[in-house]
Amino acid sequence: MLESFLNGLAVVFQPMNLLILSSAVLIGFIGGALPGISGVILVVILLPVTYSMDPTAAFMFLTAIYGSTVFSGLITAILYRAPGTPEAVMTAFDGYPMTQQGQAGKALGIGILSSVVGGLVGTIALIIFTPMLASVALKFSSPEYFALAILGLTVVASLGGRLIYGLIGACLGLFIATVGFDPLTGTPRYTFGNLNLAEGVGLIPVIVGLFAISEVMKRTLSEESHKPLTKVSVKIFDMPVLRKIAMTLSRSSLLGVVIGILPGIGASTAAMVSYSEAVRWSKTPERFGKGAPEGIAAPEAANNAAAMGALVPLFALGIPGSGTTAIILGAFIMHGLQPGPMFMTTSSGLIYAVFAGLFLVNFMILLFARPFITMFTKLLNIPYSALGPIIVMCCIVGTYSVRNSMFDVWLMLGFGVLGFLLEKLKFPLVSIILGLVLGPIAESELRRTLSMSQGDLSILFTRPISATLIIISLLLLVVAILVPLRKRARLKAANS
Amino acid sequence: MFMKHSLVAASSLGLVLMWNASATLASDADAEYPTKPLQFLVAAGAGGGTDNFARTVKPMLEEALDTNVTIINLPAASGALAHQRTASSSPDGHTLDFASSTFVTSLAAGQNPIGLDELTPVARMQSDVMTLIVDPEKYPDFESFLKHAKENPGEVIIGGTHAASPDRMAFLAFRDATGLDMNFIPYDQEGSVSANVMGGNIDGMFGEISSTLGYMESGEMMPILVFAEERLGNFPDIPTTVEHGWDLTDGNERGVFVNADTPPEIVSKIESSLKNVYDSDAYQEYEERVNLHYREGWLGSEAYRQKLEDNYELYKRLLEEN
Repeated sequence: MLESFLNGLAVVFQPMNLLILSSAVLIGFIGGALPGISGVILVVILLPVTYSMDPTAAFMFLTAIYGSTVFSGLITAILYRAPGTPEAVMTAFDGYPMTQQGQAGKALGIGILSSVVGGLVGTIALIIFTPMLASVALKFSSPEYFALAILGLTVVASLGGRLIYGLIGACLGLFIATVGFDPLTGTPRYTFGNLNLAEGVGLIPVIVGLFAISEVMKRTLSEESHKPLTKVSVKIFDMPVLRKIAMTLSRSSLLGVVIGILPGIGASTAAMVSYSEAVRWSKTPERFGKGAPEGIAAPEAANNAAAMGALVPLFALGIPGSGTTAIILGAFIMHGLQPGPMFMTTSSGLIYAVFAGLFLVNFMILLFARPFITMFTKLLNIPYSALGPIIVMCCIVGTYSVRNSMFDVWLMLGFGVLGFLLEKLKFPLVSIILGLVLGPIAESELRRTLSMSQGDLSILFTRPISATLIIISLLLLVVAILVPLRKRARLKAANS
Repeated sequence: MFMKHSLVAASSLGLVLMWNASATLASDADAEYPTKPLQFLVAAGAGGGTDNFARTVKPMLEEALDTNVTIINLPAASGALAHQRTASSSPDGHTLDFASSTFVTSLAAGQNPIGLDELTPVARMQSDVMTLIVDPEKYPDFESFLKHAKENPGEVIIGGTHAASPDRMAFLAFRDATGLDMNFIPYDQEGSVSANVMGGNIDGMFGEISSTLGYMESGEMMPILVFAEERLGNFPDIPTTVEHGWDLTDGNERGVFVNADTPPEIVSKIESSLKNVYDSDAYQEYEERVNLHYREGWLGSEAYRQKLEDNYELYKRLLEEN
């Protein structure tokens, strides 16, 4: 294996391939940084370009784009609260408040470092454990997915702020997720006969609307005049901060790899679950959402690790772990390759070159990130009256391009207004996103579970992984509810 | 320089001749077609089989018709949006709808409001073979699967993609023909279905043979029954539905549609251009590369319409009885 990897590195270091890799990283940077243009779209647009390339170069190119878009979504999420990719939504929750507190450089530095650490952990896991991890992925079926979604959802109880708002938000997210054809029976739900709603409400219109558009509205309407940031210096290796986030980094990277390899759920879910866990394990959960460094480290380490993890089942079994890897799978077939369990043996030269390429991509991100980001921070000095419309324009173009749908654009603008109003009420948007992303997983996987067991709920507890996950979530839920109650009781006792 | 001039002269002469010809045959609308760039509406997301099909045909048809083509993916509502937009486009043959069997399965399930009265099938170009796929450690051959399913009614679980998909129709048709008592679980993605088959969580799945080749070599998954008249030349050991006495041969098909009001001359011009594309070496090479060459894909406009109407009746009945 080491030998294959070194051979792969030798291929990667050919000048032409280095050029391909670095251009892929830069293309990924730009695409990822533009709200609405996600890795999926970028890979689709550039797919025809690769038909004339030799397969090894083609797949180094596509996977490098994939890796770097997952990274660069954080730039606009932190600077303008306009997540460049769905994977970076969670990063906005703590990244943007830090920017508002004048700590944009620190936030970006944490983001870059966490991404690179997560990406490297993911790549190393990919290189060493691919065949082993693939069999872990197969142990996960509907009961386990349901349990995982529940584990993520229970964090609503631990989030700061008023619990009732969190619950309402999660329910709102769950409700939005029910729109569209029922995933199991195909019955239309809340579509009002409109074909545009048949496939459900897309994640990108909701995210772009709730976050980017509502923020533009808020800033435009706010009384305070534009205050240009004097200078943003991005510091990547900041020892005191690093010490603080080291624990979060390692936990999130591992969590990201594990969630990434599960087929069907990708880097966005990994970012969400790992953010939830960061909140849960933190001694000061109330700081989250207000600019906690761990709130950036957790989702960024996890989404980059998960992006690499999603390649594990693709290479080992021919099963895509996420949306973008599904398109890469299609690309393999178009290149006349045959992904499947034998792929690692029949195409090991190509695969190890791709692995080596991804390994190098992480260092390229580290190297290119700072100059690229400096370009973006310069934009902060543009008066908001000019920058705001540019952000809105990018959001419209990006949202339209997802499904070539004007309907999605209107939907996005609608969610922009909704987000603006909800924030006026001090409503936590994070719980809406949790409900929206994890809700459909929980719903359809529970129904599949019950189909598997013919209606018997005990299947959730007879399978070891799902039983463990469900018991953990129940315990955490009880703790999350009891601890504040006890605190209150103690306060009462002290007062009387 | 001289060459260039004579080319221009020759082509303008050709144009004049064509113009005259079309003037004498007033109804001959196809002589001028295409008058502007074409638009391909792909009723599926980018990167999938139908998208690859459209993107492969694009340069070939561009050359054949001497025009430009833009591709727009409209995956929403299982492609129904693409059908809707084709049906409301101007009926001049400049908007082509690239769709798979999902067109007719979702029509039968009531998820696609655009029927064959609003769209005219131009040609079918691909016919992928449907198979029953299992984990060979669980069921080494079709006989053992059949035996297990007969002895354990209601226990066998088959996975597939969504509720109105070609593989669900294959399941319903199979259950209808065999009388076996089996259950179906729809998943969001084909990958999840195969993961569950390999992981032993479900008993099997219906899927196209082209997507299982990689698993056959390693023995993780194996097709044990093909939906075909005769055994496939490349897989002589796999029994067919027809030899068991079940008349099930539908697979996943891909073809091209236009607005139903398009003049017949233009439809036949597109049909013949697509036929030329289909017969070309480049297209056949692509079919072979993606393993779609196991049986004849081509079906002309009329025959394809007949096929789709028959499928519609069958699927409608199966869904109502379900």
